Formats: sequence, structure tokens, C-alpha cells
Amino acid sequence: MQSSAANLLVLVPLLPLLGAIGTVLLGRRLGSRAHLPAVAGIGAAAVVALLLLLGTAAQVGGGHGDPLRPAEPVEMITTLWQWATVGDARSGDLSVTENSGLGAPVAPGTADHGGAFSIPIALRLDPLTATLLTIITGVGLLVAIYSIGYMHDDPGYPRFFALVAMFVFSMSMLVAASNFLLVYVFWEAVGACSYLLIGFWYTKPEAARAAKKAFLVNRVGDFGLAIATFLLWMTYGTLDFHDTHLADGTIVEGILGQIRLADEAGYVGGAVGTAICLLMLLAACGKSAQMPLHVWLPDAMEGPTPASALIHAATMVTAGIYLITRSAPLFVGCPGALAMVSIVGATTALVAALIATVQNDLKRVLAYSTISQLGYMFVALGTGTMLGFTAAIFHLVTHAFFKALLFLGAGSVMHAMGGVIDMRRFGGLRHVMPITAATFLVGACALAGVPPFAGFFSKDEILATLHAKAHPEAHGSDHAEAGSAGERPRDSFGQSGVAAPSPFRPASMTTRSARRGAPGEHGSTTEKVGLDALDHPSTWRLLFWMSLLTAGLTAFYTFRAVFMTFTGPVRVPKEAGHHAHESPTAMTSPLLVLAVLSAFSGLVLFVTNALSSFLAATPSLTAPAVARTAVPHVFHWDIAIQGTLAAAIGIAVAAIGHLGRRSDSPQMERYLGPLGTLFANKFYFDQIYAALVVKPLEALAMVTAFFDRTIVDGTVDAIGQVPLAWGSAIRRMQSGLVQRYALAGVVGVLAIVLALAWQLRP
Amino acid sequence: MIPATMLTNALLVGAVLFCLGLVGILTRRNLIVMFLSAELMLQGVSVTLVAWSRYHGDWGGQVLVVFVLTVAACEAAVALVFVLQAFARTGRLDASAWQALREENLPRVIDHELPADDRVVPTWPHLSPAGVLPEGDDSRSLERDHV
Amino acid sequence: MDPASTATTAPSGLLLAGSVAALAASLWLLLPKASDTVTSRRLGFLLGAVALVGFAATGRSLGCVGEDAVFLTVAGIAVLSGLATIVTRSPVYSAIWFAMTLAGVSGVLLVLGAQFLGVATIVVYAGAILVMFLFVLMLAQPSGMAPYDRVSNEPMLAAAAGAVLLGLLTLSIGRLSAAEPPSCCRMPSRAQAVAAAAPADGAAAKDDGHTTLIAPATAGGDTGDANEVAHLGAELFGRHLFAVEVAGVLLLVALVGAIAVVSRGEATETDHRREGR
Repeated sequence: MQSSAANLLVLVPLLPLLGAIGTVLLGRRLGSRAHLPAVAGIGAAAVVALLLLLGTAAQVGGGHGDPLRPAEPVEMITTLWQWATVGDARSGDLSVTENSGLGAPVAPGTADHGGAFSIPIALRLDPLTATLLTIITGVGLLVAIYSIGYMHDDPGYPRFFALVAMFVFSMSMLVAASNFLLVYVFWEAVGACSYLLIGFWYTKPEAARAAKKAFLVNRVGDFGLAIATFLLWMTYGTLDFHDTHLADGTIVEGILGQIRLADEAGYVGGAVGTAICLLMLLAACGKSAQMPLHVWLPDAMEGPTPASALIHAATMVTAGIYLITRSAPLFVGCPGALAMVSIVGATTALVAALIATVQNDLKRVLAYSTISQLGYMFVALGTGTMLGFTAAIFHLVTHAFFKALLFLGAGSVMHAMGGVIDMRRFGGLRHVMPITAATFLVGACALAGVPPFAGFFSKDEILATLHAKAHPEAHGSDHAEAGSAGERPRDSFGQSGVAAPSPFRPASMTTRSARRGAPGEHGSTTEKVGLDALDHPSTWRLLFWMSLLTAGLTAFYTFRAVFMTFTGPVRVPKEAGHHAHESPTAMTSPLLVLAVLSAFSGLVLFVTNALSSFLAATPSLTAPAVARTAVPHVFHWDIAIQGTLAAAIGIAVAAIGHLGRRSDSPQMERYLGPLGTLFANKFYFDQIYAALVVKPLEALAMVTAFFDRTIVDGTVDAIGQVPLAWGSAIRRMQSGLVQRYALAGVVGVLAIVLALAWQLRP
Repeated sequence: MIPATMLTNALLVGAVLFCLGLVGILTRRNLIVMFLSAELMLQGVSVTLVAWSRYHGDWGGQVLVVFVLTVAACEAAVALVFVLQAFARTGRLDASAWQALREENLPRVIDHELPADDRVVPTWPHLSPAGVLPEGDDSRSLERDHV
Repeated sequence: MDPASTATTAPSGLLLAGSVAALAASLWLLLPKASDTVTSRRLGFLLGAVALVGFAATGRSLGCVGEDAVFLTVAGIAVLSGLATIVTRSPVYSAIWFAMTLAGVSGVLLVLGAQFLGVATIVVYAGAILVMFLFVLMLAQPSGMAPYDRVSNEPMLAAAAGAVLLGLLTLSIGRLSAAEPPSCCRMPSRAQAVAAAAPADGAAAKDDGHTTLIAPATAGGDTGDANEVAHLGAELFGRHLFAVEVAGVLLLVALVGAIAVVSRGEATETDHRREGR
């Protein structure tokens, strides 16, 4: 069973990779059937992922049913081969001294593993991975099928499918890797695939520019992940998630391995821990388009719509969520970092929602909506509770469904309208393309949080966890407290009570270590200093109201888009030509599948509590610090009513403004005045970045180019001129007169002989 | 066997002939004179070889000179044939007439000033055809009444 | 005849340099140029004589007067005729002077004791090769002198080079006769080595089978050797037989080649007649 599961796990990334290679090799020859290798690979991988999901669920389901006790972690590690090993990478100098304040010795109770740096190619299967693999391959398959129709007459048809398959491979490996360095590698790989797909129509300058922008902004985040990886290695001595059993019987504790997770004091807090978490937050912001690194996602709409649906809605942008969820034990040890996560998420959600309300390009609306929903997920993650993490993943799953549905629907509209996507130029399309309209409406309801669609339940859970953190006493049990309660951030001494100050530790660390003592203390009554001070109930209250407002705005702009596009008098732009009809089956069948999922998945998953209990068995979430915060699974009526009310207000306002009207009629944002301009200009983020970053770099580039052209090239050219000059001087000797040649020879010989004679004189 | 003094004398003679021949072949423009200078060099070498051969009592030197003589004869024959070919193509025996192998952008070397032919054209006595009494020239005859 | 016994003066550097300079100057003056005058030519001849005397002084050594006189005469004829060969303007005169040089060289060879070669020089060179030159000259340039005969190519540099070369050669020749010749130049005469090794006069000299066919050359094989031609012949056709045959073939090849080139050339001669007589 174990080995067959291991084989199946390897197949999930392997099959799309083979599909990609097959497309590359055979694409041209297959012509209009070039999608076959890629679709076959992704489809097979989807089947295998589903099998793995069912298998893992069966394993989890065998555990106890008590949600309040920490679940038994379920994981399976399979190591393919050893990629790199450096024997004694960690010399004695790096080991911890009393005052260094840096990373701890490897783990309590285990021997130092000789300081070797080793990176195995190891994959792990646990509930989180299984969930995400299913989403990735499933949505990937649907998008691939959709692309058969959408990209039908594009000259780069094989290249698209190769890239999609490559992306599915990279993303699968990212969520299945069991080593931080491998995660980094595939983090970059999905970035590269995203670049290639955004710039798919590379002859279009805007597309090339958008691809470049996406890659460069992602790079900033990748830098954060790199530094975080370095710090992780220095702190924990290994980069593996899992525990490695060495030949001599010692165990190298993985960062997220069973041993360390079970240890109450297994994770480092304080400055180093916060630094690691904040750097990972930076990486997640880059990949998941949170502020201030969100500027690339709207521009990424230059790519083909199926690519946008797959990458920028459902999968790649969720890599940040995955990373934080996976590193939950690390984050939970630094409440300040968690609070930052939520603040970043909520701010982004609100700002993006505001910008989306005035966008006229349907895909841009959806792009900002994605940013906003990702912000929601970050908010949930930042609460640091079991409910928060599972809510975030729940929302990730439902968001994948309905956002992909919306994007594919937008693609269908774009395809029918001959490439026009400005909502002011078409309208009343429910008569022209009924299936698209119906599925789009389902997706919009899910996005807006209309019960009983999928988005309602996930959004409800997010709001619930926020509320719990904002009102810790209202929710009674001490399990629902702010995550700063239970865990003991472990300082570098490994001892209790010693508070010798060191240059590396902030004052907050000192006071906390002085307070070390009984676990289970109520953390909400203790003072926090520094970044941790953000973790205060008033902060959470503010975030709760921001999220509620964002929910209302979400409903507004979503239904504004729906009404402008599908209601009102039928208007078709002239570019549509004869395309203005419903899309072919290849495009509408994924829409239907996703519509069903958007409609019912939320309800099913919530009622059965399948996802939460399934995810609770993820090793990262079985850490006592996280598991302690588990709450009974209840439906929070008060939160639900608040959320639904916000959605209803939003839909109503949208209906007032746009239902039944011509889509190019004067819009509501004219009432916003200067605020409307601010929103429309995306809060001037692009302009600020251009002034602060782009222009100085361009100036530097010009200086360097000048240096290269003039000085470097000039030097080389000058050196090249030297033989030419010599040549033209020597050339004059060749006069054609033989006697002069002979004379030259004689003179030369004489010179040599004279020199010799001089040397040999007695 | 010759004494060492005569050896050095002979070697000196050979060296002088060799160097004079070298100067001649480098300088003179007439193909024939060039060739004569080359033969002069060969003479110098022959003298040297014979001197060493006689000094050491080794016949090798003289044998080599025999061969040098032979080869010089062949060389003269063939070279003169080519000289005649060269003359046929250019109409002159000038070594400087052949400059076609110079570099492309170099100008042809031409003589700018040639010294005038300052030979005195000798006036040979004019012999009248046989059987005809030459005209007497009283101004030039000496005073003789009989021959 | 020990080279060390006849003390000679080591070559004096100053004398040598002066001779080199004088020779260079004289050659330059003598070589045909546009700026030649009668005075310059006479001066050139004078300087040349002076230079040659200087070379002789640095290089040679005094020996037996009688031998010397004959040698001096013929050597002088050879050298001065050689000088005249290269500086005369008219190519015909040049050929005549060359004949004189051959006479001088033949004399030198005879004094040295190579009788066959002395005569062969006259017969082959003066009798055959020189005549061929004159034929060609008469065919090509019957007027005797042409404008290009009156100028030289790079007279200064060539004269300097020749003079320097002569100086070097003289230096090294002088070293041979110095009182203490340097070890690298010390070459004991084979004859002396033979004489030293075989004290008995009539014994067969064991010198590497050189002249073993007839009588081995004894230490007394000097100028008056009546069998010189025979010995030379024995050597040629004994040890160097193969080379002699090859030389014969070479002569044949040259003959055939010359005829072949000429016969082909004649067909195209009329086509290739160019300007510039």
C-alpha cells in the first residue's frame, strides 16, 4: 500500500511532464490534435490525484472523530533520490554559542547530524497536498479541455498546451515537495511558466511588458523566500519537512517533522522566527499578488484567458497560501507575523475591491477580484487558529472553482465578441449565449457569497474566525484565543529563565523568556512588545469590519459586471462578426462542470465537515499550538446573517445602477468624484513604482549601457585596430621587387648573426 | 696539404668573392648581371671548399666543388631560358619590371630619373667598299710623297 | 706548419671596422647611380682597394714570400675583377670582367693544389657558361647598355649589408689564425692528426677509408702531388659514384627542360611582346 501510494504520488507530477515533453516533440506533427499528449497527461494525473485523495481520506477517516483532540497526522514520504549533499557544511563555527542568539541546535535530544547539507528529492503526501493536487490537476484538466476550443486557430497551439502541462507539473511538485529548497525551485518554475504564458503572444508589446513585469515583481518575493530558506537552514539545520533517519540511527528532525511538531518548544520565535515568517510573507505576497506586490496580476490579463483562469485564479496564486499553511507551526510562534499576514490580506482585499468597482474591462474586474479573494485567504491564515487555516484552504478550493468558472466564462464572452472585453461595448448577452450566462451567474453568486453557493460557506468561516479573534471572550473556551497563548516560543538557550540580553534578541524576547513558565497561560492578558503588539483584539475587530465591507463590495462589483454584460438590450460589437453565438462544447462543458462544483461543493463540504477534519490531519496542523485552537464545528448564524446582508446590499446597489440598463450608460462612479479617479488609477501604485524603482533602474541601465558601448567596446575595438595598423605598416614592405625581398632577408640574417656574435664574444 | 696561412688567405679570397657577389645580386637590375653575380658567389664558395679540402686532406670538398660546377651549368642553362622568356614578355632584361606581386594598394615603383647615357659614341673609321679608290682628303694626309 | 707556431696578430677591431666602412663606401660610390661622376668612380676604386687591403691585413697572416707572391697576384686579379664585374654599367663588360675573375679564381685553385678544378673552372665556366651569357645578352640587348643598367636597387643598404657580412666573415677567419684560437674554432688539420697518430711515415694511414682505393693520402700530399687528378677521380667514382650518376641525369634533365621551355615559349613569344624596349 505504501509503495503503491508512493508510485501514484510520483505519477501525479510525472504524467503532465511527459505530456509536456510529448507536446514539444510531437506538437508540430500532430497539428490540430496537438492537445492530446498534454490533456492525456493532465487527465491521467487528475485521476491519480483523485485516487490519492480518496486513499488519504480513508486513512484519515480511520482516526478518532473528536474535533477537539489533535488529529493523528497522516503523511507519507517518498524519496526519489539524493540531489545534493555537502558533507560537513555546517562547521563548528556556526554552532550555537551562549550569546549568539541565532538558531538553535538541531533539536533537543538528538545528536547533531554532523552538519551535512543534503537535499533529497522527496515528495510527501498528506491531506493538504492531496487536496491541492486534486484542485490543480482537476482545474488544470478542465482548463485544458476548454483551451481546445478557445485556442483553436492560434498558431502557437502546441506551445500553449506544452506550457500548461509544464505548469501543472511544476505546481504539483511545488505542493508535493518535502524540502524547502525544492519548494523554492518549483516556486521559480511556476513563475517561469507564468511568464511564458502571460507573454504567450509575445509579438504584442503589452503582453511582453506584462510578462516581464510579472516576473520581476515575483522576483522580489522570491528573494524573500531565498533569504528565508537560508535562515531556516541556519536555524534548524535542515531544510526537509520530514524527519530523516540516518544510517547510524540518528534522526535528523525535519522542520515540519513529527518529532518537532510534537515538541511544544520545537520552533524558534523572537527576532529570527519573525524574520523567517515575514520573509515568507513577502514571498507569498509576490506570488499571491498581495500588496505591495500586487501590480503584476491585472497586467497579467494580457495572456490567454485559459492561462489566466488556471494560473492567476485557481492555482499559482494559491502557492503563497500553501506556503503559509504549510509553515503554520512557524507562524504560530510569532503572533506579530501572523497579525501582519492578516493586515496585509485585509488591506489588499479592501483596496482591490475598491479598484474593481470602477473597472470596465471584464477580465480586470476578475483580476482584482482574485487579488481581493486572496486577501481574504490571507486574513484567515493570519488568525493562526485551526479554523483559520482550514477556512483559508476551504476558500482556496471554492475560489478555485468559481474563479476559474468566471474566467472561463469571460473567455467565452471574449471569444464570442471577437476579442472585445470592454463591458461598455456589449450587453444583453444572455440572449446570445445562454449557457455562458447561466454558468457565469452561478459563479458570480458563489463569489458574492450568496447562500447556498460555495463562496458563502467559505467566506462565512473566514468571517467567523476573524470574529473569534476579535472577541476572544465571546467564544468562551480558551482554545479560541489568540494564537499567542499556548506555545512557548523557544529561545536559543533551550533553558528556562535565563534572560541574558544579547545583541541579536529584541527586548520582547527578553521579557517573554522571563515569563516562561506554565503553559496554558492566558496570553491575552500579557503585554506584548514590538511587532507582537499588533496581535490585539482591537486589530482583529478592525480587520473584521474591513472584511465585511469588502464582502459587500465584492458582491457589488461582481453583479455590476454580470448586469452590464448579460442584461439590458442586446449589443454586439462589430468585431464579433459571425462569432456572436454560444461557444462550442469543448468550451461550455468545463463551464458546466465548474458551475456544478461552485454551486454544491461548498454546501457538501461544510455540512459533512469533510474538509476541515480531513485537513486537521495534516502534520503541519497537528502541532499542538494550532490544534489547541480547534473549535467545534458549528454554523455561526450571526456571522452568516451579517455576511449575507452585506452581499445583499451590494447586489442591490449594483442592480440599481446597472440592471437592465445599456452597458454604456453613465455609471455610478461618477458620484465618487476624485475617489473614483483614485480607484480607476489603481491607487497610483504603478506610477509610484515607476518613479521609485523603474526610472532609477533605467537610468542606471543607460549609464551601464553607455559604459559598455563606449569604454568596453571602444577598448576592444582599439585593441583590434592595433594589428590593422601594424599590418598596414608592414604591408609596404611587399613591393613586388624580388631584390628588395632578398635584401630584407640578408639584413635579417645579418642581424641575427651579429646578435649571436655579440653574445658569444669572448 | 696547405699550411694554415694559405688557408686563411684562401678563405679570405672566397669570402670577398662571396660578399661581392651578394652585393651584386641585390643591387643590379639587369638579369644577366644578377646571374653573373650569383656565379661569382659560387666561385667564392668553391674557393673556400677547395681550401678546406686541401687543408684537411679530405677529398669531400673538391668532390663537392665538382658537383657545384655541374649544377651551376644546369642552372645557368635553365635560368637563361627563363631570362629569355622574361625578356619575351616584357621586352627588357629589367628585374624591376616584375612587380605584379606587390600589395594591392601600393603604387608601382618606377624610375623617376635615369642617368643619361654618357657613353661616347665611338666613331669608327669608315671603310669604303673594296675596289674603289678612296677619296683623298688632303687636309688629313701627312706629307709623304711615297708610301 | 703548426698554426700556433706562426704567430699572427689577432684581428684588430678598429682595423676591421675601418675596412668595413671603407668597403661599404666604395661599393656605394661604385654602384651605378644617377649621381655618378668620373671622380666618384675613381674615388670608389681607391677606397675599395684600401678596404681590401685592410681586410687582408686583419685576416691573413704572413707566410712564405714566394708562394705568397703568386697567390697574391692571382687573388688580387680575382678580387678586383669581381669588384669590377658588379659595378660596371654595361652588361657585356660585366661578362668580360667575370671572365677575368674566373681566370683569377682558377689561378687560386691551382695555387691551392686543386689542379683538376682549376682547369675545370676555366673550361666549364668561362668556356661554356659565360659564352651562353653572352649569347643571351646579344639576343636580348644588343645595344649593350640600357637605362636600367645605369641605376641600382637600394645601393646603400646592400653595400652596407655586404660590407658587414664581409667583416663578420673576416672576423671569424681571423679567429682561426689567432695565436689562441677559441676552442670552438680550433680545428687541427686532419693531416696533422694523422701524422701525430702514425709516426712511421710509410705506414698506411688509418683514416677512415677515405682514399683507400689507390695509395692513401700521406701527410705529404701537398701541392705538388702529381696524382691529384687521379685521386680525385678515384674518390669521385669510388665513394661518390651514385652522386656522379645523378649529376649526369641532372644535366640531361636540364637540357631537356631547357629545350622544352624554349620551344613552348617561342610559340607565344609574338603574342607576349610588350611595351618598353
